[in-house]
Amino acid sequence: MTGAIVELRKATKKYAGVPAIEDIDFALLPGEIHTLVGENGAGKSTLTKVMAGVVSLTSGQMFIEGREVRPETPVQALHLGIAMVFQETSLVPTMTVAQNLFLGQERFFNRLRGIYIAAQQFLQSLQFDVDPTATVSLLGAAKKQMVEIARAVLHKAKVIIFDEPTASLTPEEKKYFFDLIFNLKARGVSVIFISHALEEALLVSDRITVLRDGKLVVTDHKENFDRARIVQAMVGRDMSQTLYGRRKTAMRPAGKRVLSIENLRMAAMVKNNSLSVFAGQITGVFGLVGSGRTETFKVAAGVIKRDIMYGGEVLLHDKPVRYLVPAPAVRDGIVYVTEDRKVEGFFETKSIADNIYLGLLAKLRGQRKLVSKREATEVGEQLIKRLSIRAIGKDVKAIELSGGNQQKLVIAKSLVQEPDVIIFDEPTRGVDVNAITEIHQLINRLADEGKAVVVISSYLPEVMALSDRILVCRMGKVVEEFSALEATEEKIMYAAIH
Amino acid sequence: MIAALRTWTDQLLGRGAAAITVPIFDGALKPNQILEQAETFAELEEPEDLATDGRSLFVADGACVLRYDGGAATTVAQVDRRITGLAVLSRGGLAVALDGTELRVIGGPHDGRNWTGVAGKPLNAANAICATADGRLLVTDGSQTQPCHRWCHDLMSLGRSGRLLELDLTDGSAREIVDGLVYAFGAVSAGKDVWVCESWAHRVVAYGEGKWGLPIVSRLPCYPSRLAPAANGGYWLTAFTCRTQLVEFVLRQKAYRTRMMKEIDPRYWIAPALTSGNTFLEPLQGAHLKMRGIHKPWAPPRSYGLVMRLSRDGQIQYSLHSRVDGKNHGVVGAVECQGTLFVLAKGRRRILKLPVAELERSLRP
Repeated sequence: MTGAIVELRKATKKYAGVPAIEDIDFALLPGEIHTLVGENGAGKSTLTKVMAGVVSLTSGQMFIEGREVRPETPVQALHLGIAMVFQETSLVPTMTVAQNLFLGQERFFNRLRGIYIAAQQFLQSLQFDVDPTATVSLLGAAKKQMVEIARAVLHKAKVIIFDEPTASLTPEEKKYFFDLIFNLKARGVSVIFISHALEEALLVSDRITVLRDGKLVVTDHKENFDRARIVQAMVGRDMSQTLYGRRKTAMRPAGKRVLSIENLRMAAMVKNNSLSVFAGQITGVFGLVGSGRTETFKVAAGVIKRDIMYGGEVLLHDKPVRYLVPAPAVRDGIVYVTEDRKVEGFFETKSIADNIYLGLLAKLRGQRKLVSKREATEVGEQLIKRLSIRAIGKDVKAIELSGGNQQKLVIAKSLVQEPDVIIFDEPTRGVDVNAITEIHQLINRLADEGKAVVVISSYLPEVMALSDRILVCRMGKVVEEFSALEATEEKIMYAAIH
Repeated sequence: MIAALRTWTDQLLGRGAAAITVPIFDGALKPNQILEQAETFAELEEPEDLATDGRSLFVADGACVLRYDGGAATTVAQVDRRITGLAVLSRGGLAVALDGTELRVIGGPHDGRNWTGVAGKPLNAANAICATADGRLLVTDGSQTQPCHRWCHDLMSLGRSGRLLELDLTDGSAREIVDGLVYAFGAVSAGKDVWVCESWAHRVVAYGEGKWGLPIVSRLPCYPSRLAPAANGGYWLTAFTCRTQLVEFVLRQKAYRTRMMKEIDPRYWIAPALTSGNTFLEPLQGAHLKMRGIHKPWAPPRSYGLVMRLSRDGQIQYSLHSRVDGKNHGVVGAVECQGTLFVLAKGRRRILKLPVAELERSLRP
């Protein structure tokens, strides 16, 4: 596009061969506010990270003011005039505001008073009410955002990218933040703004781009959008027709209530959340990032702790439980299959059989005084067969497995514990199509066997294809429940956003 | 000592018995508007209980018993006091509870038989009667300290004096099956067992051989009332209002409750009610919040209407609701008669009718 300050042509970025964004043509005009919207995993963050030099393109071209560039690091991107403000601020919390502003630009002889004065003058010129001598850790979310923005402007950024900037702001702080954005626009700075809040997108943007499954669906002026059109563009995917195309025509009847969560609170993430999970059913849990869905179930499984005072109740078979670590939860029959398998899921240098056996030992507590190699082999072989884990042999290390088989290993490690409640968090993230089908079959089988199954997923078609009932989370609590038969993608997304 | 420390830390940290939590209406209890939208069958002066002989509907209305054959009502019995419980006997006749203090049989082979006390204790708040096929009456005596109409006083004083009684129509004998129930309200014969509702404990428990106080349905988000058998097996369980965190909090604050009961008109207590929204002086249900384009009540509900369909083993299969913004609240009874479910919404003094076949088709998963 002529006159674009940043332009991407046929931009593709692949992680381990899987495209996060594919063939994207994107243009940012000077002085415009451009909002990117899309589901989790749609490719918004990857697209902006490419521009900010955090990741490099696998193929395609990037132009700044008509000149082809290829920023390899954020510093290079900053020199080209592109700054990114991450959701979690990148400020040094123990330093003052002024020190953070001039970080990396220090002179040989630094005079603290000098940078305070310079910072004061600069912040005043931006009309930011921030004390330059204040320690960053003591600032609120909005003030931290201001410092981040000031730093970007100080570096003479022509483009500032905001990743979910309003997620942690109060309504007053949001209003102030939007004023800042308009202020930047008036200075001729272009802004890219990632948001899940469609009202915000419609309020502040000049143009809106909708991404879906790593592809650009539509870019248009905000006047041509309304909520319904954005939601339709966000969810109406073709890919779903292949893997998740069939709609549920029957749902399993609920068995006994196995797990209840009542008025659960956990810091700012979970706010008075209540829900029930029933035996013999798959309970799907959908929500956007920050909706508190993962944290709720991590508390139930003892992975993280709820608030110390008035943290609510978790009841297993109608008896209150409070787990400080996962081991007693596992012994009582609750397992959590993590979304981050590489960090939390397995020991990567141990064999498949050893990993599975470790799962069993966690369940048995002190009942095994000595580790039995033979038992480990037997248990390993049994689970490898049951879950069709494909490897050259059972002694293959976990790290040498494909993503799909690693995920099956994590599931096997949990199934060996014979749980009553199995919580799958993003069970098919980073998994190939065949493995997805197998994992889905396994999840369905577990529910048919009478287990209480929870599937937390950011991927709507997956939630809809698997779940008998769907809970939608927003702002730390369940806001809506749908049966599998009444749910539509639009209804679920609408509940997750509004 | 350890228990005392535990209680103290629980109170400090809001855990255990001091955790002010309430179960959620989800799964089979997911709210709908079916009860609110149900057809009104009749509006009466003082309806108290429903019963059926399988052909007609019987309604206790003040001191009368009305029989409905189709749409027309006939008075079949008139007594001297308010009726608080009603049952149709299998061999003809009616059993009625009079003001909670007397059980009397009207008509049939046992006409005139009556009981005023069981196991050396007088009847005080007899509120539900179930007639079994073998000629027994299962009666719940809600409280030994408060009469029927002062049920809210019993809740606020954490009453625990309810009884389940068994009366024999043939020889007039009576026995107390269990006492110390947390407000007994409704019982039903379930095979060899008896199921009884404990309203303030939010559960239905079974008493029988090898099942002494076994919870059948527990941790309900509501205060259950009467039970009635369903035609296709299973039971109908009603609830007259739902639990809220605010009321749970008040129930844990003894000094506050005592002073509230002493100084404030019971109509304006922070307590559940059969109906609400009648005056601005009521403490709750004043505010609204707009969510997803719908005005939702911000304040916790004070009254509610709920009917639950239970399976033979006590599993909740589906439910019918009149939500906080509705009117058909204070549901204290439901009976199934000739393919129609009749529901008594006492808060609105109304009998509702719903076709069972349609409910089964649309709500059963």
